[in-house]
Amino acid sequence: MVYILGLNFTESILVKKALQSFFGIGTDTSARLLARYHIHPTCKVGELANKQVLDLTAALSDMKIENDLRRQVLDDIKRLRETGTTRGRRHALGLPVRGQRTRTQIKTAIKLNRVDRRL
Amino acid sequence: MVSPFCWGCLTPLRQTSRTILPSPSTAVSRGPAFHTSAALQFMGRPSQGGKKGSTVLKFRQPAVAAMKKKKKFVEKARPPPVGERKAIRKRIVLSNPNALEVEGLQELSEETMVDSRLRGTALALPVPMLDQLRAVQAFKPKQGWSIFRRPCTVLRRETLELGRFFDNVTGDVERRGAVIKKIVGGARKSGKSVHLLQAMAMGFIKKWVVFTIPEAQELVSATSSYAPLSEENPNLYVQNEATAALLSRTVAANKDVLSGLRVSQNHPTVPAAKPGMTLEDLAKTGAQDQASAWAVFQALWKELTATGPAPGLEKHYTPRPPILVTVDGLGHWMTESQYRNAQFKLIHAHDLVFVRHFLSLLKPGQDQPSLPNGGALLYATSTTNNPPYVYTLDVALKQVAARDAGVEPSSPQFPQPEPYSKTDPRVFEVLESPKSKHAQEGRLQHQILGGVTHDEARGFMEYFARSGLLQETISDGWVSEKWTLAGGGVIGELERIGKRLRVAA
Repeated sequence: MVYILGLNFTESILVKKALQSFFGIGTDTSARLLARYHIHPTCKVGELANKQVLDLTAALSDMKIENDLRRQVLDDIKRLRETGTTRGRRHALGLPVRGQRTRTQIKTAIKLNRVDRRL
Repeated sequence: MVSPFCWGCLTPLRQTSRTILPSPSTAVSRGPAFHTSAALQFMGRPSQGGKKGSTVLKFRQPAVAAMKKKKKFVEKARPPPVGERKAIRKRIVLSNPNALEVEGLQELSEETMVDSRLRGTALALPVPMLDQLRAVQAFKPKQGWSIFRRPCTVLRRETLELGRFFDNVTGDVERRGAVIKKIVGGARKSGKSVHLLQAMAMGFIKKWVVFTIPEAQELVSATSSYAPLSEENPNLYVQNEATAALLSRTVAANKDVLSGLRVSQNHPTVPAAKPGMTLEDLAKTGAQDQASAWAVFQALWKELTATGPAPGLEKHYTPRPPILVTVDGLGHWMTESQYRNAQFKLIHAHDLVFVRHFLSLLKPGQDQPSLPNGGALLYATSTTNNPPYVYTLDVALKQVAARDAGVEPSSPQFPQPEPYSKTDPRVFEVLESPKSKHAQEGRLQHQILGGVTHDEARGFMEYFARSGLLQETISDGWVSEKWTLAGGGVIGELERIGKRLRVAA
């Protein structure tokens, strides 16, 4: 078991996957993080040296990820709503925001677009 | 309003007078007689809220008794344990007890490897050597070793030439310390990897030190650890895991030779290297401790290429044997690797010190030959496993051949890349090998393995027949036909023909 940013990961999973489990880190960010600390892409969490784990944790703690990022996204939607923009209104109505047609195929928008969006 | 017609079959519904309608209690049990329309269903519709367990059907409830499906018991097969599938995929089978034992089969030995009378015959690899060859991963999983009683290789012209070279370097005083440097090329299935295997076998026979890189791709495919070499050289990268693997391969295969040699140089960077310890122990420390693997490898290389002892360590020094280095799949080293640097740029394969070390041997040495105690560098290209773009290597190899043939680089006959083509200057630079100052050091050559001759093909086919795999009368005409079918004696294609199962009609 290895702790990265306070979370516990089993040794058998890839470092890349462990990083991508954080909200706000996708394929590109994780690949860049690995390259920055010279970790090869097929490296498992158990193969990391202590220093590399500490480096990764330090880098992650500087980034805006997880709850900070969630809060920012919600704040952005709220701001749009409060300034009365179309985008904000569409969020509040649960309708597509970016000019899509609404005759059909808006299930995703109905499901997700809220002012207090589920993230 | 209820329609007077049945919706199902458009016939008028029977009008039933109220007087002959049965009482509601019996009407419940009577289902619709002939029609399926809503009208009749409505007539027979029971009151809502029937008791549980009664036969009363709800609206649109199927009247068919629900059959309970028996749950099928599905046996869940567990996936095989971690690593087992890969082990099966990479398994190398060297013996088939069903194949016939070939009578009068000779083994590869010091005498037979230079005997030109045996040209075209299959020679068996000595059984004690198989462990060594396995240790250096000389056998590849897809080669057809598993259909014969024991592994054999054909003594072809190129093998004999190589055998004579090995014999001369070890035996002949004048040729002692000679070095050949070859890039082995050739068509698909022309026997490049087996040529390397034969060289390794000869190296083991002659007690050389054999270093092998069985898959050059593994060094650049970003599947093992890497790190910057040092603070001073942030753009060079060391691969400790791969170096430790190389050391452990080398120790396992060259145990006898390395245990007879002792540390006789000073190694300030490797505290583990004590004067007088055997080179086997030295290499083992690197194989076990990955962090020091590269430093230990450098120390080992310094020891093996030493021509004399360091002052004060004379009693530990014995003359060093020649070295054989083989690399399979050179194309992967001639482009950018899959590793990335801290700026997320791809690292060129030549910036990995492991790769750089073995490629630098192709250049002539400055003060002394690159292998001062003699030896051979055999680097094979591949036709089926290459990085996407190897155009530069193709041109560079043509240039190597031209330089070897005496064409001046300034002459118009000297091969040049197509104008506007994308080329990699680092590849040209690394394969640009001028003539060495040292007489013993040969020039870099590009050896192309072609097809075998008719005689060699006949010997090869006879070996199949004597192993019981080929049930044909081997005549000159038959061999000639198969030689042509095999693209002019390409040995891998001959093998396909030889092992094809024939059923008598």
